Amino acid sequence: MRNHVSSFGDFRCTHCHNLVSAAHTLSGVNNRNHCPYCLWSSHLDLFVAGDRLSACKGQMKPIGLTMKKSRNKYRLEARGELMLIHECTECAALSINRIAADDDSESILMVFHDSCEHNDQIFQLCEQHGIVTLGADAIRTIQAQLYGPLIEALIPMWE
Amino acid sequence: MITNDQDDTGIVFRKTTGHYTVHANGRDIDCVLSSLIHKQLIYPTADPTSLRHRVQEVRKIDHVDPIAIGDRVRFIPIAEARQNRGLITEVLPRLSKLSRPAPVPGQRVFEQVIVSNVDLVLPVFAVAEPTPKWGLLDRYLVSAESSKLSVLIVITKLDMAWKNKDFDSDLEAYRRTGYPIQLVSANTCEGIEELKRTLQGKTSVLVGKSGVGKTSLLNAIQPGLGLRVKEVSKGEQGKGRHTTTHLEMFRLDFGGTIVDTPGMREFGLWEVSGEELAYLFPEMANHVGKCKFGLSCHHDTEPGCAIRKAVMAGEISPHRYKSYMNLRREL
Repeated sequence: MRNHVSSFGDFRCTHCHNLVSAAHTLSGVNNRNHCPYCLWSSHLDLFVAGDRLSACKGQMKPIGLTMKKSRNKYRLEARGELMLIHECTECAALSINRIAADDDSESILMVFHDSCEHNDQIFQLCEQHGIVTLGADAIRTIQAQLYGPLIEALIPMWE
Repeated sequence: MITNDQDDTGIVFRKTTGHYTVHANGRDIDCVLSSLIHKQLIYPTADPTSLRHRVQEVRKIDHVDPIAIGDRVRFIPIAEARQNRGLITEVLPRLSKLSRPAPVPGQRVFEQVIVSNVDLVLPVFAVAEPTPKWGLLDRYLVSAESSKLSVLIVITKLDMAWKNKDFDSDLEAYRRTGYPIQLVSANTCEGIEELKRTLQGKTSVLVGKSGVGKTSLLNAIQPGLGLRVKEVSKGEQGKGRHTTTHLEMFRLDFGGTIVDTPGMREFGLWEVSGEELAYLFPEMANHVGKCKFGLSCHHDTEPGCAIRKAVMAGEISPHRYKSYMNLRREL
């Protein structure tokens, strides 16, 4: 989440206080939306990603994961792109955001496990906004997205 | 030979490098500057009764050009074989001015007075080609508010409205703020008569980026002017090319005067502080001081901010609030 140092530059996360680089080469996204360490965000966008029109500026907590379907059937992630669901702690607005290349995979899995524990509450909240949260049965898909498709073949061997 | 038996006063109508056209007593006089105006002479004030009137210090002036269009100046006619020449010796106090930081390289920032002694600022924006930059409009509005000048937002190229579908919703924020807006088309003459009625008897200035149709609008208001206009260039992403390259004031047949300016892509704020900025957004002014931290609030991430609350409640446009934050970061 952004401090008020710069609108589109590097910033210090106001939740975990880590310094976050907004460089596209690190994140792979044009608009750095959340802290890659704690995954918390700030309520800055109003209509579309990167418009920076929201005046709320409240902290946004990662509450779960969802899958956004890709229109391009030839893409690697043809079955969907893993997205974070954020809820504003000030105004309770929900938003879904792309996972960046340098996001901490362990933190993403922690968010997923937390959401599974409170699945009913989060599911109902997200359903009101037309967002389908991923449940416990989606663990393989999530691991495949985070660690690559080969992990699906390796996990049964470990198990 | 300089005849200094009688100083005249007039209004600067046109300026080119080093030469100023001053209108006085029904004549246009080609004037140059007295060297004294280039410097600021500081006289001692310790003993005002002293008969010896010595200069204590000479400072360089803080302006790019000490004379602006619209200035009332005192000049000495120069009697030569060629008549209508003069030497400007003094700039009379300005009633109003529209300034910006001069876009000159270097660390020192100079004031550039674009125009002085005007009643009405007309920020001109095209519906399309070039696409309106609302952030630039907010800069003009803040600058005019800071100078306590009235504003009329002029939207040109109304006949191209089909090219910009978001135009009406974008303009709504300014309608709600209470700024008067005039929609015109120089091609179809739509809205020109209403605009003429507003300009009658006033001294106005047209400001806007290159290619929005300021000069075309002027030609439509007063067809006899026949000023040079061009098509917007396509090569530079429709940014327009500078057709008008100098400032000039024109007398209008129906009464009043109007200043045409070259396109301005940059418009910084001059003598506006971060603390007073919110007062210069009329829709925000009522909320200043009502925040949890009172007048110390920056209206950014502070809890209990009344302005942010008003934006969330839909009383203030989020686009205007974003402009406020962008300007605040500059100051």
